[in-house]
Amino acid sequence: MEELIRFGERFFDELEIAVYRNRDVGVNIELNEVSTSSVRQRTITVIRGIKDKRIGISIIDSEDKEEIKKAIEEAYKMAKLNAPDEKWVSLPEPGEYREPKKIGKEVKEVSPDYFVDLATKAIKLALEKDKGFVVAGGGGGAEWSENLVVNSHGIDVFQEGGGAYFYLELIGRKNGNVTPGIFEFDAKLGLNLEVEKVVEGVAQKVKWAYNVEKSKTEEAKVIVGPWAMASLLSYALFPAFSGERVVKETTPLLNKVEQKIASELLTIYDDPFHELSLKPVIADDEGVPTRKNMLIENGVFKGFVWNDYWAKVYGTESTGNGTRNLSTGGIGIGFHSIVIEKGKESINDLIAEIDHGYLVDGFQGAHSSNPDNGNFAVVANPAFLIENGEVKGSTVFMMSGNVYELINQIYAISKEQKVIPFHGTTITPWVAFENVRIAGK
Amino acid sequence: MQDVLENALEWAMNNLKAEYIELRYENLKKTNLELKDGTFVTFTNKVQRGVAIRVLADGAWGFSSTNRLENLEKAIEEAYKLAKAGAKAKREKIQLAEIKPVEDVVKSKMKIKPVEVDIDDKIGHLKELEKLLKEDKVVKSTMIRYEDASGEKILLTNEGTKIRWDVNYLVQYIWTTGKEGDKLAASRDSIGQVDYGWEIFETKETNEIVAQRVLKKLYAQLNGVAPKRGEFPIVAGPIIVGIIAHEALGHLAEADLTINSPFKDLMGKQIAPEFVTMSERIVDGGFGNDKYDDEGVPIKDIHIIENGILKELMVNREYAHKWGIEPNGHARAQDYTFPPIIRMRNTVFEPGDWSFEEMIEDIKFGYYVVDFRGGQAQLNSAFQVGVQEGYMIENGEITKPIRDTSISGIAIEALKKITAVGKDFGIETGFCGKGQTAFVSSGGPHMRFDGGIIIG
Repeated sequence: MEELIRFGERFFDELEIAVYRNRDVGVNIELNEVSTSSVRQRTITVIRGIKDKRIGISIIDSEDKEEIKKAIEEAYKMAKLNAPDEKWVSLPEPGEYREPKKIGKEVKEVSPDYFVDLATKAIKLALEKDKGFVVAGGGGGAEWSENLVVNSHGIDVFQEGGGAYFYLELIGRKNGNVTPGIFEFDAKLGLNLEVEKVVEGVAQKVKWAYNVEKSKTEEAKVIVGPWAMASLLSYALFPAFSGERVVKETTPLLNKVEQKIASELLTIYDDPFHELSLKPVIADDEGVPTRKNMLIENGVFKGFVWNDYWAKVYGTESTGNGTRNLSTGGIGIGFHSIVIEKGKESINDLIAEIDHGYLVDGFQGAHSSNPDNGNFAVVANPAFLIENGEVKGSTVFMMSGNVYELINQIYAISKEQKVIPFHGTTITPWVAFENVRIAGK
Repeated sequence: MQDVLENALEWAMNNLKAEYIELRYENLKKTNLELKDGTFVTFTNKVQRGVAIRVLADGAWGFSSTNRLENLEKAIEEAYKLAKAGAKAKREKIQLAEIKPVEDVVKSKMKIKPVEVDIDDKIGHLKELEKLLKEDKVVKSTMIRYEDASGEKILLTNEGTKIRWDVNYLVQYIWTTGKEGDKLAASRDSIGQVDYGWEIFETKETNEIVAQRVLKKLYAQLNGVAPKRGEFPIVAGPIIVGIIAHEALGHLAEADLTINSPFKDLMGKQIAPEFVTMSERIVDGGFGNDKYDDEGVPIKDIHIIENGILKELMVNREYAHKWGIEPNGHARAQDYTFPPIIRMRNTVFEPGDWSFEEMIEDIKFGYYVVDFRGGQAQLNSAFQVGVQEGYMIENGEITKPIRDTSISGIAIEALKKITAVGKDFGIETGFCGKGQTAFVSSGGPHMRFDGGIIIG
């Protein structure tokens, strides 16, 4: 790489070369059967070069040295055509990196046969549980990636790692009714996937869904499950933590650092080294060391996250949150593993304490939320009615409001957390809200 | 490259005992530009090149994709082994519906291909659009993303299909944030074309037209009032009608999903008033337009709902065999890293004979919903669509705008509540996600629903 950096310096004031090698194996499940087994390998090299504050990027599907040289020349052509970015300061310098986590290599070499067997076992287990069950979909697989980022200021970081996942979508048919598709999944850094737990979890929810209950238009207690929690906050709240939005004054959290913005029960941070994290990266996509960044601590807003570019524009330092879009090569601000801190009670106790309320497994339409002001209007589906401490059946309702009001209505958080591989990774417990306005159906 | 592929295919046919072998090569040159508040944060050239290999052996699929083109035989063998491994767990062997192999070269219909446009013109176009948006004082931040691609795709199968496409597309996406007092609001807009080239920005989608559309949506949000929650008469414009057609009904008519949806038991039955027809077809400017799908099947127009009766489904060759119907060209893959799966192309309601004025004149209180931001549906046809532009209808007239809201319902119930179908027609282009991304359009005329849709 050294040679390629030197070659690039003939053209650019500074440049960065990032190589992403990726191999994934997996199987799909369709209608009670394994459908396609696949193995995909891809190597992408991204060149980002700057000449007289003009940026040029080139991406190729190769890591061949000669191809990379051509890509450097191509990036240079782009840079010459681009207008200077007067805000540009520089590419990052090397920093102090943590010791990488030890990662088992079994994920790297796993054969797709392993997942064929896993899927076959899960389908059998699910179909034995109830004759109305249909395994509508699902899949399992493993991904191994090796990433290298080097730049002309001395950054040279190589990281490798991988993870495995398994999920099932089950539908129940009973008395002419079809339940909505209900999902359950597991994701781990190793191959220790808990398939029985996945089947058990999804079967329980489908059985609940056999009984359909009406929901009312009312204010009620609502427990939001991990998947629903991750999807709503990823669209309505997390974008507000981006430093870019501070510079542009488009975050509702502007000038709110050290102010109380949520219930004291709520603590949120980004930490790639959390025990459940699926990507324990020591550096971000531009080679800046990662760290634990507190976002909300006991209800108090603690600060924003930054990549190198926006941090320099604002006059602060990168928090190690530079993430690369592999379609465009551009570096934005993203998260590694957002963690919503767990609480003290078990989810079963949270349900048992409710006389009348709801449990939400998924939100439809979370992505239509407005990140600029936190407004959302989503459909809770699948959702379940809780009466006298027990789940009575499935229901559907609309929930609309503002996420900044919602996070002040938290009254309890479960001690169980789940890792949701969605928009990076979100690690979240079940969160219970009170006085939530819902529109029943 | 075709020679290399043909040699690899011949090797596979001589050495592997497979029922079906398919090689899909892709070599695209892309330009990606992203203009964020005056700065091009992305200014990228990209070469995307690789091969997708799909093998059917012992009634099971194996798939591999690679960008190491020097050893295609190995990748084909890998897919073959995967199929063999999967076959052990397969109870019902996969069979494909027969097709007539095609040899063809698919030419682009674009007048001005993106590759023929000077990069300076692309930069100038985006800067001018940004300037037009920022001239309005409420606009706080703009992000304009532009992507185009030109290149080739080659499909070869052991059955004799040999198709080469001249692939070209362009995409423009805008996200604008506006602020007035304490109110923040956002508006999005997207354009995607495979048949019209750069000429689209000089005719139907000039910067003036696009900027005006974005600002109209932004002001509707900034000045909007919260709607009343509940079930009211709703008049939906072509974009909203389209998203319901796509999300809540279209997915149910994708044969791999139909089996688990209410559509399974409704085939051949009346599910909507007889003046309602919904099609999957080639439309002018449709982002899903093509001549063949990724299995080499010629694309056919179908009526999912014809005169209110649920009639046809979208299939690939595997599901065509399962359902005993003719393949209709809906097997699509995002790129060489994915196998083709059943996807929509352009999903539209067909026009009727009502004018917009006739449709709203007797509504005392209701809503007119024009554009969305995000939509989602379940296989039981329950849908949710975020509304980014909508208005109140009071005493037969469009009055105040509404803000940050959504509409929801069960589409197969809402279909029965359609009381009027407009004589106009419009589409919107966008992307559909089903594990992989596909270029799609959706649309139709204005339509009125008397019930079946909840707002708020």
